[in-house]
Amino acid sequence: MKSRSVPILVAAMLVGANIVHAQEYHPIIVESPGMQTGQTMPRDYTPDGRNISPPLEWRNLPEDTRQIAVVCEDHGAGNPPPWVHWVVYNIPGTATGLPENLPIYANAPMPAEIAGAVQGENGWGRSIYRGPAPPLGQLHNYNFFVYALDAELDLPPGLTQQELMERIEGHVIGRGAIVPFYRRGPMDTASAP
Amino acid sequence: MAEDQRRTISRRDLLKGVGAAGAAAILPGKVDEGSAQPASPGAGTDPGRARSFAEVPRPRRLENLTADEADTLEAIMARLIPADDLGPGAVEAGALNYLDRALGGFLAGEREEYGLNLAALDRYCLSSRGAPFVELSTTDQDSVLIDLEGGSATGSGAGFTGSSASFFAMVKGHTWQGMFGDPYYGGNAGFIGWDLLRYPGVRLGVSAADQQRLEAGELLPERRSAYDSEMFEKATAMQRAQGGVEHGD
Amino acid sequence: MATRLPGTDVVVVGLGAAGGVAVLPLVDAGIEVIGLEAGTWLTRRDFAPDEIRNNVRDWPMAVQKANLEVPTTRATPDSPSFRGSSHPMMNAVGGTTLHYWAQAWRLNPWDFKVVSETTRRYGSSRLPAGTTVEDWPFDYDELEPYYDRIEYEIGVSGQAGNVAGNVDERGNRFEGLRAREYPMPPLRWTGFHERMADAARDLGWHPFPGPALINSQAYGDRAGCVYHGFCNSGGCHVDAKAGPHTTTIPRALETGRLTVITRAHVIGIDADRSGRATGVRYVVGSEEFIQPAQVVLLASYTYENVRLLRLASSHVYPNGFANNGGQVGRHYFSHHQGAPVSALFPFDISAWYGLPAQGVAVDDFADDNFDHSSLDFIGGGNLWAMSDRRPISAANGSTFGRAPSWGSEWKRYIHENADRSHGSYIQKTTLPYETNYLDLDPVERDPLGFPVLRVTAQYKQNELAIADFMQDRMEEWYRATGATEVSRGGLGNAMGLSTHAFGGTRMGDDPSANVVDRWGFAHEAPNLGILGASVMGTSGAHNPTLTVQALTWRTAEHLVKNWSSIAGG
Repeated sequence: MKSRSVPILVAAMLVGANIVHAQEYHPIIVESPGMQTGQTMPRDYTPDGRNISPPLEWRNLPEDTRQIAVVCEDHGAGNPPPWVHWVVYNIPGTATGLPENLPIYANAPMPAEIAGAVQGENGWGRSIYRGPAPPLGQLHNYNFFVYALDAELDLPPGLTQQELMERIEGHVIGRGAIVPFYRRGPMDTASAP
Repeated sequence: MAEDQRRTISRRDLLKGVGAAGAAAILPGKVDEGSAQPASPGAGTDPGRARSFAEVPRPRRLENLTADEADTLEAIMARLIPADDLGPGAVEAGALNYLDRALGGFLAGEREEYGLNLAALDRYCLSSRGAPFVELSTTDQDSVLIDLEGGSATGSGAGFTGSSASFFAMVKGHTWQGMFGDPYYGGNAGFIGWDLLRYPGVRLGVSAADQQRLEAGELLPERRSAYDSEMFEKATAMQRAQGGVEHGD
Repeated sequence: MATRLPGTDVVVVGLGAAGGVAVLPLVDAGIEVIGLEAGTWLTRRDFAPDEIRNNVRDWPMAVQKANLEVPTTRATPDSPSFRGSSHPMMNAVGGTTLHYWAQAWRLNPWDFKVVSETTRRYGSSRLPAGTTVEDWPFDYDELEPYYDRIEYEIGVSGQAGNVAGNVDERGNRFEGLRAREYPMPPLRWTGFHERMADAARDLGWHPFPGPALINSQAYGDRAGCVYHGFCNSGGCHVDAKAGPHTTTIPRALETGRLTVITRAHVIGIDADRSGRATGVRYVVGSEEFIQPAQVVLLASYTYENVRLLRLASSHVYPNGFANNGGQVGRHYFSHHQGAPVSALFPFDISAWYGLPAQGVAVDDFADDNFDHSSLDFIGGGNLWAMSDRRPISAANGSTFGRAPSWGSEWKRYIHENADRSHGSYIQKTTLPYETNYLDLDPVERDPLGFPVLRVTAQYKQNELAIADFMQDRMEEWYRATGATEVSRGGLGNAMGLSTHAFGGTRMGDDPSANVVDRWGFAHEAPNLGILGASVMGTSGAHNPTLTVQALTWRTAEHLVKNWSSIAGG
């Protein structure tokens, strides 16, 4: 059985997202070739395109960062929210980002620069990236959170976002985010800017 | 009319349903002899050591689907249950043959749904991945199927008749029936599906000794259709009402 | 224009588990009986071990009258109603006994006295809010001789646990006293069943083999079970599974006093000015017939029993036959069989050949077999670990989060694990409530233009609390047997349609709260008998068929003994 309880502290942190408690963390700068906060996501990172995982780059990690975790959440979907699109953890503290197109097969190796990293379970029950699929015409924001951890946690593969948050509680020393949006239109005009 | 309806059936007539020989053949005491032997050469081989695919019939005489529809469906089935180092998959089992036949029979009501959604699938693949499903790489095919399964392709505007997840579930359900159902219906060729599951096969009776052999891993698989036995009526009630059957559909 | 047929002594509507049994004691007493059955005869030749036909396509349930009359369902009067595409029961001579699981349980003595026993042991405040449950008008001991009669007349396999007060630990130590052993030993156990039983004993529980209306050895002229594995939704190709079509009906036909009419769709029950039943109307194809009878026995399953009564309105019964008291359709409930628990084991459990009636039962948490003082519910559940596996359903099983549900990873998973999962079956006490009822749907109609039934029913707090408690017990049992994964389903909400549907024509002494009297005859129409679980006021934690048949035999015997007063001379 997967645990149904979330520690209150973590739940509060999630609800507050990057508004209320962001200042408690050392701010990490998150960037991506092709994605920007407040801009639409390229189609290839959605099911209207190849639905591959986007590349991420981060800077300004806390000095004693040992490990990194990445989660993509949509706070405008899910029952209860958020709907989770992507969970990656056990990323070496030396990594400076995630390359594009992480594998969709459990037995496929991770790229060398993030060796040891594993993917957790998304809202569809699969341990891979799945991009935005908001209802037609609706604009949703997609929070790509990067967490800096002060320990090398050897977490098992397949954790959900909730389970990951429980496991890293107390180890988070920095956080940053990039928040692009996506809106689906009629098929032939859905292409990215 | 009323008089006809009121004709009763005697107990003797009821028991005529199976002849004396048929009844004897299914007594538990007789079961041991038959089931200790493989039904046919090749039965009981370890599915881990796959039979040569060439041995497996791959019928492609379409009764209901168009050739393009069949190609796309077969490409989907090849990803749902792939041929791999563990052995053959849904294509080799003739799951398409099962579906094609059924679309002219029991599943006739879903024929139109297949046509519309297969067309939508190709529109979706062209728009999102730049080529129709059959021309995509296997990784892109899997990615598309994951999007179908999760419902993400629904809002793409490709024209699925409902949720793309419903279409995926329909294709998957029928593929599983074609892979693991009785070969009488045109799938499960060479009993590929039953080998994959390590299912010991359809038997008309299983003695306590058979069960013990099964638990000890010593029961050889039986590989035959339920309808290899003459004791069973092949036609379903509906087929009977429609008059006759050519094959299981 | 309807054809008026010559009259008969008794017309029985429906030749399934109930009606098919009622005919025998009647014809044996010299009474002429006409049995109307919406389905047809099926034989062993129709029962191929074919998962596609029997399970995937729901044959032989397809192409049946019942499927044209599927009731609508909704949880509460405020929620929208839905109408599914198939009916859980089938029409045939023998009815759903053709393909049922054939578990042959007696109710527990507590089930007959839920109100008084709960009040005595815990206080009346422990009866759940809103329930309309009553004590039965008689106790277990009254029904025991009829249970016994059915067990021997039709044939039940099982291990007695309490013969006349002598507890036998091999059987169910919690069962009510029985006069004698079962006529046949229980169905055999597999190695996995032994393993489950050992684990249950380690937990301090009392496992035993469940009773079945299936021959464990030759019985009379029918063969013993051959365990071929296609019993669930399949008929029996050796007639080891007992149903009226292989037992009581053929015996009744031999007397020459039973006439069976198949494909007969009953559409009405006629009443005279005094409210007595005068016969029934039915159609065969496009022809309509009137069958006059001195006594009408309604035995068409809970849903159709209630619908036929509600449809049969007249001057004397403006709101439906025998419904001037407004009780037809009330006190409805169906067994809570949901809230499933399933498990994955690290070894093959060899469940391919077996049947749902073959397995290990634990009744330590059923009925009032355990102390409820510190619990927040009354009643309980029967834990049942059975054998039931076929290839397509095995391949569709949960992967317990260990693999996706298709592709190469799935293929590896299923090759190893197809025979390693197990799903439990837990039947739980369900009570009747004020707000759960049956009536006619205001919109949906059958092809003849008659409204279909509407089911308004929801599990309440007591049922959900039992479900939660029983899931804990089942998980304990699976873990103790070595399960590596255990998963639990939701606790349930709307009742939906069920093969264990009770009430609607409840039996009781008080005519203001019940439709039939303690003998099964309508308070308002003394020559209308009602057969089936629709007369039952409690469900217990066990399958209803044997109780239905025991009640049926008792009603028929009462009719025989009181023929002139009931039939009106």
